[in-house]
Amino acid sequence: MKTIASLIFFLLFIFSACTKNNQVSINYQATGAISEYILYYQDADGVLQNVNVKPESAQDVYNIKFKGAQGDIVYVSGRYSDPNTALRITIKIDGKIYKQAANEGDTLTFLTVSGVVPYQ
Amino acid sequence: MPLFIDLSKLKYDIYHKKMLNFEAIRANMKRFIIILILTHFALAGSFAQSVISGKIFDAKTNEAVASVGIVNALDGSGTTSNKDGFFSIAVQPDQPVTLTFLHVGFHPFEKQFSPKDFNIGQRIILKQKVEQLSEVEIMGVSTIDKAYRTEDVEIKTLEKSNLNDIGDLLRNVPNMSGVKKGAVGIDPVLRGFKYSQLNVQLNGGTRIEGGCPNRMDPATAHVDLNDVKHIKILKGPFALKYGVNFAGVVDMTTYQPEFYEKYKTHVNVLLGGQTNHTGFKTKVGVSGASRIVTYNMTGSWKKYGDYKDGNGDWVPASLQHQTYTGNLGFRISKKHIIYASADISQGSNIDFPTLPMDERKDDTKLYSLNYLANNIGNSINFIRFKAYYSDVNHEMDNKNRPFSDTMVAVSKIHAINSGGKFGINLKVGQAQLEVGGDYENITKDGTRLKTLIMQPMLPSKEEDLWNTAHIRNLGFFAEYHRPGQVIDWTAAARFDVNNATSGSLTRKNMAGDAVYSNDSTTSHYNNFSVSGGLSWHISKSSDLFFSLGRGVRSPDMTERFIILLPVGYDPYDYIGNPQLKPEANNEIDLGYRFRNPSAGNIEISVFFSYVTNYITGVLVPPSEIKPQTKGVLGVKRFINIDKAFMTGFEISYRTPAKFLWEINFNAAYTMGWNPEVKGVIFVDGVARVQVIKNDPLPEIPPFETYISFNYKLFKRKFVPAVSLRVAAAQNRVSEAYNEQATPGFVTVSLDIKYQFNNFLKVYAGIKNLFDRPYYEHLNRNIIGAKYPLYEPGRIFYANLIFNF
Repeated sequence: MKTIASLIFFLLFIFSACTKNNQVSINYQATGAISEYILYYQDADGVLQNVNVKPESAQDVYNIKFKGAQGDIVYVSGRYSDPNTALRITIKIDGKIYKQAANEGDTLTFLTVSGVVPYQ
Repeated sequence: MPLFIDLSKLKYDIYHKKMLNFEAIRANMKRFIIILILTHFALAGSFAQSVISGKIFDAKTNEAVASVGIVNALDGSGTTSNKDGFFSIAVQPDQPVTLTFLHVGFHPFEKQFSPKDFNIGQRIILKQKVEQLSEVEIMGVSTIDKAYRTEDVEIKTLEKSNLNDIGDLLRNVPNMSGVKKGAVGIDPVLRGFKYSQLNVQLNGGTRIEGGCPNRMDPATAHVDLNDVKHIKILKGPFALKYGVNFAGVVDMTTYQPEFYEKYKTHVNVLLGGQTNHTGFKTKVGVSGASRIVTYNMTGSWKKYGDYKDGNGDWVPASLQHQTYTGNLGFRISKKHIIYASADISQGSNIDFPTLPMDERKDDTKLYSLNYLANNIGNSINFIRFKAYYSDVNHEMDNKNRPFSDTMVAVSKIHAINSGGKFGINLKVGQAQLEVGGDYENITKDGTRLKTLIMQPMLPSKEEDLWNTAHIRNLGFFAEYHRPGQVIDWTAAARFDVNNATSGSLTRKNMAGDAVYSNDSTTSHYNNFSVSGGLSWHISKSSDLFFSLGRGVRSPDMTERFIILLPVGYDPYDYIGNPQLKPEANNEIDLGYRFRNPSAGNIEISVFFSYVTNYITGVLVPPSEIKPQTKGVLGVKRFINIDKAFMTGFEISYRTPAKFLWEINFNAAYTMGWNPEVKGVIFVDGVARVQVIKNDPLPEIPPFETYISFNYKLFKRKFVPAVSLRVAAAQNRVSEAYNEQATPGFVTVSLDIKYQFNNFLKVYAGIKNLFDRPYYEHLNRNIIGAKYPLYEPGRIFYANLIFNF
């Protein structure tokens, strides 16, 4: 009886020691543009993707949402060719703004927002 | 006939497992019996006490066992069995009592007696120790005084500690210190020797190769402190059967197989917590054994946060760690034991504020298979065999650092150390001769991925930290020990064949151009180590010991194969040198031991080391190689220099165990110097290479002394203690390494032990009582800052230990 109780106790301890879930919600947002732009972003699998976005107005918000983990690299980089447009890129983690940047009429450089999902 | 016998000496000798002088015991036996009878009647009459008496037998031969020490755990009183095996001890009436039976030739036996057992003749069976020799005992580390200095860290010290790292614990051992870089992983330093100059091993031979080039995970970091039962430290290059031994052996014991006549199960639970560096630790262990099978399983978990130093500043020191262990042993026949062990540990998010990266993940697996055979025929004391496999997956990154805003660096390293040993211990007249061999095979491979996260297209570059590096060491050893009435003689020798190779040592810049390349990575060495020593028994209480030895080690992975990383004390990128020669430590030790049951134990030892082919780093001209790490001053290459010297001493004193009060004192000092070295001196901010004479060796701890006092109250159940640690300033610093002098410090700690009953013990205490800001000389500087890693301020802690 003592042996069985000991083993149950031991197993309970082992299971209770499992690490907690460190998942986070990641949201890349691009807005402020009135003409086409290209976005490069790192996805949930760590792969660099790209997408051409054709907004209908500056209020349009292009969203990319996925689940990530603490320590993941978050990366969004955008560029446009219309000197009359602008771009604002925001990275939100669990609904809170993590990083944000914007430019206007800069057709030469990439607007890049990046970082690492912070460890709690 | 004087009615005098030194019972306390006898008990003391048994306690310390010293060989008993049976002739003297026999001569005293008459007096002893008279005293025993008189004492018995005196106690029984005057205090109305009860008596536990009986006879002690050898389980194997059924013969009476004389001279068994019997200790009452409740109040510390004791007696010994007479020549016919009889014993009698007075105890408090109506109160259960636990007696411990101790004899050098038998396994310690503990038995609880209830009041109904009192005044009834008991039959006590002791099992010969030789039947149950464990790996550690067989390795000869526990029973015989050595001809050189040794230290023991007992489970009591481990249990009462709030520490969470073995390296931290070892800093309390005389003349031991540690290089501290972060929350855990303090790298042991023994008499100024460190890294692969020390042989750090687990359970008598399992070796672990850490993954990190900056040694954030030395071997001690892969073993959970809560699993450790005992640590033995053998100083000097004299013990040669443990593998290559250049300057000392640190052997951590986590498990020893034990068998019982009747099946028994034990459960052990530890719960611990502390303020500041706030965190908790817990461990559950289940063990069981019968005559044939023995097993144990443990699981432990700990999590700590950052801490405040004595200045009130926060220091990053978070960590999380969990370990699971399992052991299974079989007594396949009376003289043969086989057992297997597995240890899986996982660490995560461990802060190293003095290094460019933190440890993100560590996944370590240790496996071993052991075989022991005892008393084979008339000429073999024992045969042992061990095979082990240690596998370390180490991942670190800079994601919690400010510079990860532009570049994220992630390093992943896989290190495997596998091997084994074989030994046979023979009776040669009065002496013992052990011969055998050992094999160690280390492989290490790893890369660092750099991602430029502010650049378009997220460019990344992967580079080798280790490029399939490989070291093999095959060794053969012999050790001879001849005990005598006046002098014990010891001699040992070992021969090692060492081979190493690696893939190309290449480093490219971000543009892909090679900044360094070396394809000549193979080396082969034959090393011969030898030692000899004697212990001269000047009197019953006094020994003088002397040892002379030469320990030779081949260069390690870092010294051979590191590729432009800042792995040293100083801010330089280092490159390995596959053609380094082996380093040799020629050491002489002299010491004196005094052990008296009324006066206590004194041990004094001095040593002198003459190191040839000393391995150190020298500056490489920038025209040859440019540094690749931001913020470093240049590049250094590992080379051999002709010689270096180390010398020092240890003094320790402990009051007799029989007293209710106890004082422990030790003091230690080491100094080392390099007769001539080329160093970089900064004059008006300009770097100049200059020859420096008698430059102190870097990272040598200062003079240090420690004193503790405790008093045993309430039948030894409650023990309050106070301890004081004084470290002098270290002004002997290396000019060649731009080493900084450090101030001295004094810390005071309080602790208590309360033995609630046989099932529950409580330890609690306050460390750094006065919240002093201080740091050790060997603590590295915080990265990006000029100030060192401070130790924690005041900590309150408590440990609860349950045994069922």
